[in-house]
Amino acid sequence: MIDHSVTDHGVPGDVIRVDGVTKAYQSDGLPALADVSMSVAAGEVVAVMGPSGSGKSTLLNLIAGLDRPTGGTVTVAGRRIDTLGESALARFRARHVGIIFQFFNLLDDLTVEDNVLLPAQLAGASRRQARARAGELLERMGIADFRDSYPARMSGGQRQRVAIARALVNEPEVLLADEPTGALDSATGQEIGRLLRSLAAAGQTLVLVTHDPEMAERYAARVVHIVDGRLAGTGVGALR
Amino acid sequence: MIWPRLNWLSSVRTATGGMLRHKVQAVVLGMVLLVSTASATLGLALLAATSGPFQHAFNAQDGAHLTVTVNPARASAAHLARTRSLPGVTGMAGPFGQATVQTQWQGQPFGQLTLAGRSSPGGPVDDVVLTAGRWATGPGQIVLNGPAGGGGPALGDVVNVTGARGVSLTVVGFGSSITNSADGWVAPAEVPLLGPSSGAQLLYRFASSGTASQIRADLAEVTGALPPGTVTGAGSWLAAESQSEGNGAIMEPFVVAFALIGLAMAVLIVANVVSGAVAAGYYRIGVLKSIGLTPAQVVVAYLSRVGVPALAGCALGVVAGNLLAVPVLHQSADAYGVGSQTVPWWASVLAPTGMLVLTVLAAFGPALRAGRLSATQAIAAGRAPASGRGYGAYRLASRLRLPRPVGMGLAAPFTRPARTLVSLAAIAFGATAVIFAFGLSSSLGRAAGIQTLSATVPVQVQQQGPGGGPNQVPTAAQDAAVTAALRAQPGTARFAEAYENQVKVPGVSGAVNAWAFSGDTSWLGYGVITGRWYDAPGQVDVNTAFLNDSGLAVGDIVTVNTGSAQVTARIVGEVFHPSSDPTVYGSTATLPGLASAANADEWDVALRPGVTAAGYVQSVNAALGPASPWGATTQKGGGKFYTIAISLIGLLSLMVAVAAGLGVLNTVLMTTRDRVHDLGIYKALGMRPGQMLTMVVCWVVGPAVIAAAIAVPAAVALNTATVHAMAGTAHTGIPASVTAVFPPSRLALLSLAALAIAVVGALAPASWAARARPAVALRTE
Repeated sequence: MIDHSVTDHGVPGDVIRVDGVTKAYQSDGLPALADVSMSVAAGEVVAVMGPSGSGKSTLLNLIAGLDRPTGGTVTVAGRRIDTLGESALARFRARHVGIIFQFFNLLDDLTVEDNVLLPAQLAGASRRQARARAGELLERMGIADFRDSYPARMSGGQRQRVAIARALVNEPEVLLADEPTGALDSATGQEIGRLLRSLAAAGQTLVLVTHDPEMAERYAARVVHIVDGRLAGTGVGALR
Repeated sequence: MIWPRLNWLSSVRTATGGMLRHKVQAVVLGMVLLVSTASATLGLALLAATSGPFQHAFNAQDGAHLTVTVNPARASAAHLARTRSLPGVTGMAGPFGQATVQTQWQGQPFGQLTLAGRSSPGGPVDDVVLTAGRWATGPGQIVLNGPAGGGGPALGDVVNVTGARGVSLTVVGFGSSITNSADGWVAPAEVPLLGPSSGAQLLYRFASSGTASQIRADLAEVTGALPPGTVTGAGSWLAAESQSEGNGAIMEPFVVAFALIGLAMAVLIVANVVSGAVAAGYYRIGVLKSIGLTPAQVVVAYLSRVGVPALAGCALGVVAGNLLAVPVLHQSADAYGVGSQTVPWWASVLAPTGMLVLTVLAAFGPALRAGRLSATQAIAAGRAPASGRGYGAYRLASRLRLPRPVGMGLAAPFTRPARTLVSLAAIAFGATAVIFAFGLSSSLGRAAGIQTLSATVPVQVQQQGPGGGPNQVPTAAQDAAVTAALRAQPGTARFAEAYENQVKVPGVSGAVNAWAFSGDTSWLGYGVITGRWYDAPGQVDVNTAFLNDSGLAVGDIVTVNTGSAQVTARIVGEVFHPSSDPTVYGSTATLPGLASAANADEWDVALRPGVTAAGYVQSVNAALGPASPWGATTQKGGGKFYTIAISLIGLLSLMVAVAAGLGVLNTVLMTTRDRVHDLGIYKALGMRPGQMLTMVVCWVVGPAVIAAAIAVPAAVALNTATVHAMAGTAHTGIPASVTAVFPPSRLALLSLAALAIAVVGALAPASWAARARPAVALRTE
């Protein structure tokens, strides 16, 4: 069921709050996002849906601090991130945000374990603690036997599990997933979906970008629709 | 049908679009070629300048084979002019009236000058090159022979002629006569005002004048054609030639060494830049082929893509090389005393053409390969990540207790071993050049110090002014006044008087220079190559040329005929004296007859601690008074040759280091391009800009350490070989201290040059990588 009111004002305690955000890649072109406002509460799972080129990945990049808005404000985990410098943004990403990409974005020359360890090491975690956390996550994702393997020799589903483990290694407040099943067959996609749902059930705040209505309905508590860079409405998902 | 022609044009246009899309790489290619071409132009110009500089200048300036001094009262002007048509005479200039005068400058004796009256510097013979100022055109003006500066009079200074009617001459210019036909020139009307005439000079060029006997025959012909008693003196060009010959090719070894380093590095970098540019464009090639570009068009497109920046770099490089050569050749001309030197036209053609041909050859292979690839292969090759190597290195780095960006940076070179080798080689060449430059400068500095005794003899008392020499013979009383003045100075620590004359040594053809010293000379500091400095009567030291000419060795007994006595002495040491003239050194007791007023050459003075040389010189000169032909001077350190050589070394090493840095910049740039997606992932995972900078800089740290390990021994060996080659050219051996310029602490410090070149070269692309937005990096592939 979709509610076509076009703003999504947050409430105190929101982990993510986007206010009037606009993003234009070219000064004289149409903006990829125009005056978008939305919020995500702690522990909530929100799916951002829309057709290709609608601006949903742009929105995710802005929430992740991978890019800066042309206008508006972005507040994540209690901090306005649209005004942060590059170093502060990087530190913010390492500590507060985990990102899962459609095409995994694993580093091919690092082993599975080293891929998972990397964000923790960049954030300055102790070696022992980081290894323990990585080991625990690899166990939880069911890929502990592959810790010394290289990503190129693994299946798509296994690689996405590694990516999820890597995204969780710093225990982020927010997990952002950009088409996490887009590069997988349907069976493997469902496996990954179940994994994400288990994370949500454990209280992990999750923003899921997808163009698959079924996935959005099944795994999210709330669905935000974006069309042509504008918020087109919100709906309720199965997790509510 | 216009399509075929348009196809070729459009392919080039397409390629140009490609070049503009890779502006940074085009700029790097252009810069490398600019620096390489400039170095090559400068190197070729220097090689030309150092190869027979006297002969080139002599030909260019129509130097006088014979300078004849005549008494004009004995022959009419018409009679003198008729000698122009003598058989064998190819050119004649003069007669120029001349006067020999005593001069003062700044209240101090400036020596005896032979001044010639000439209305212009040019002419069919002895074309004087004006190196500063203008020619003397009116009364009270003088142009001095020799370079401006160097502690002598400057433009606008006044030189007073003593003993005449108070004539003051303002220095309006400096000129250079290749055969030093005069010490200075004035307007012809000025000569009679200077005092009694010393005759007139006639300058001749002859068809045959290559040997002393030919010159004697030429002189006899001129003398015979004039009334008896007309010719009062003559000077041969061979004397000036032999004086300059010793310096001629000394710079050749190090210029060649730098040229070889520069050329090897340029080849390496250009090939790497071009291959990298071609490899980076595979995807574009694939796309162009898929829409109908033929293999030949791809080859043309690629050659034109690298050709445009290469052409621009070569063109700018030859201009830069010529501009850089102006001050360098000016110094070089001063050092060789040849007036002026210019970049030969062939250097300005050869250097850019050579570099351009090299670039095209380097580009041709990869371009041909690109042309032969099918469209799908090219697209696949352009998109495929260059990976698959270096896994072990990454694994090892992750086990090391290093910050993660450092570990990953150190492991990165193993993923592209060929590219790493190119980086390593560029850094090694650059570091070798820098370490070699430091070493060679130190070696030359030491050689200069030893040759001029500047460290041990801060003050010398010598005959003053450019006119000082054999014609100016101080009296015994004037000599004694010097000794008394030195003894009276409280700042004098010790001094030795040196006498010089020529002696005969059986077994050595021609004369041998002999230096006889009074008193203790153990402190003088002559550089001993083998053996030791003499310390008792009956012992002498000799230079390398003496040993070569005589066939004797250190330890042998030598017989010396001083003119007043024939003595035997033991050769106890070989001393550093770069000259082809055999020379012997001993005490006045060992070489009897030399200690006379006529042979007095100089006093070498050591000062007490705390005494300044400048103050001491002033005090001694005040005590000697303006009438004394002797004057105290401070030692200026190295001579002109050393100054120019050291500044040249600095310039060449800087250019090689810049080219090396550009080489590193290019390889790091190519690597960041290849790995831009990975860099985006690192950023997305929280890598901070500082960590990114550290990681990218660490890509070149490993190669830099290996390069330093290669560069250090290479530079030491190169320095030793070059110094020995230079010494060989200067007809001398080398004291061990001249090449022992690399103590371990200095080598350790110099080895950091490799790291500096690598880090400086990597810093720009590392900063670009650090500044890139993660979302942009993730989108870019």
